[in-house]
Amino acid sequence: MKKTINIPLGSQHISLLEPVRFKFECENEKIISVDSDVGFVHRGIERACTTKFKFDAIGYVVARVCGLCAITHSLSYTAAIEKLLGGEITKKAKYLRILLLELDRVHSHMLCLSHTCENAGFEAMFMRIMGDRELVMEIQELLTGNRVQFDYINIGGVNRDISSEVAQKIVNNLYEVKQRVLGYMDEFTNNWSLSLKFKTIGALSLDDAYRLNAIGPLARASGLNIDVRNEIGYLPFSEVGFVMQTHSEGDINARNIVRLNEILNSILMCENILSGLPEGEIFTKLKGKPNGEAVVRFEAPRGELMYYVKGNGSAMLDRVRIKTPTFASIPAFSHIFVGENYADAPAILASFDPCLSCTAK
Amino acid sequence: MKKIKVSLESVRDEIKSFYDYKQWHLLTLNGLALAENKMEVQWIFSKYEAMDEIVVYYTEIENTETIPSIVDMIPSAIISQREIVDMFGVKVDGSEKGLYLDEDSMQRPLSGCSI
Repeated sequence: MKKTINIPLGSQHISLLEPVRFKFECENEKIISVDSDVGFVHRGIERACTTKFKFDAIGYVVARVCGLCAITHSLSYTAAIEKLLGGEITKKAKYLRILLLELDRVHSHMLCLSHTCENAGFEAMFMRIMGDRELVMEIQELLTGNRVQFDYINIGGVNRDISSEVAQKIVNNLYEVKQRVLGYMDEFTNNWSLSLKFKTIGALSLDDAYRLNAIGPLARASGLNIDVRNEIGYLPFSEVGFVMQTHSEGDINARNIVRLNEILNSILMCENILSGLPEGEIFTKLKGKPNGEAVVRFEAPRGELMYYVKGNGSAMLDRVRIKTPTFASIPAFSHIFVGENYADAPAILASFDPCLSCTAK
Repeated sequence: MKKIKVSLESVRDEIKSFYDYKQWHLLTLNGLALAENKMEVQWIFSKYEAMDEIVVYYTEIENTETIPSIVDMIPSAIISQREIVDMFGVKVDGSEKGLYLDEDSMQRPLSGCSI
């Protein structure tokens, strides 16, 4: 008689917001192998980019890959095109791009932390963080016109300048968010439901992080120094105060702490940008049609996002390849589940902060 | 970005001699449809803690040829290998079809001759 049982998690499950299915083979409570299926909502965006849209519209198309990190998608694509066109954008546009990128990271990490609380059965904390997250959504709307899927970045710069009133509102809201995140830090460090309970659970060792090419907060929580903001010269991250956040334990708790520290660092970067925002134009007209190949990477909230773009000198591109962080992390996710108790699977999954909208682009 | 052309037969050996898992990570496999049932396959790597150091190994193949797997050297490659199988309709050693696309979906949508 077979000694193992198969238990599915998804494609619809209370701990998941998006369709992914993991099939766990369990021996008693312990997971001994994992199979994953991510192909429920494939939308064919890569094909649409080369058959339906001209290159100057694609920045807005790829912003629809993901509601949470729309800015990183449009920024990565736009940067690839700017590389092919050979243009340089103004320093002010670069600073405004970083501002939006970091605001996106703040609210995305807050969403992940709130789901971690929900999975821990800490509903009040879940609602508190989601409520506080509105402070960030509010300033994103002021800055771009939209709460999510903002079409803020265009080839050559950004679409809207920032007024002094909006800048002041951002400073005020971020001050509030910072105070609240410091409060979360206390909860995530000292509250049993959110700290001790998650220590040693869902751990990824540093060697496995290297071996499985882990990226983003998942890798940094295991002590792996990988953050694209540290590896590209295209935007001046170090100038505005970027500091890589790492941890050594590699478990759920470590991922939470890394995300909390990253929120604080992102807020600092936003404050520095607003206090030292350069004068000048927000847009530079870049001429020509993209020709050749470019690979561009940015650090999305979930890790390294890569765009490969190939142009042929016409308005239609030959290829747009999007490598999203969750997609690249699936082998690491599967590895982490093995050896864990099935009962911990939803909490482990939430700590990965998976984005299936990105994955099934 | 540094591009290195390799043959289909030598790609495994080339990547094996190049890849140090504590220095480089695999970004992804990429495919590019070329004319007349041909495609370019790319293995894209990035160096840890280096400024924009990207290395791309690439080879041109007929769509009927089988691409060797690198999963024994780089376990995370499995997901990109399965994607390329679905998107281009090519064969990759040990990589099943059906990661993204169901039987009734458009097949091999990026190959330039989708059905």
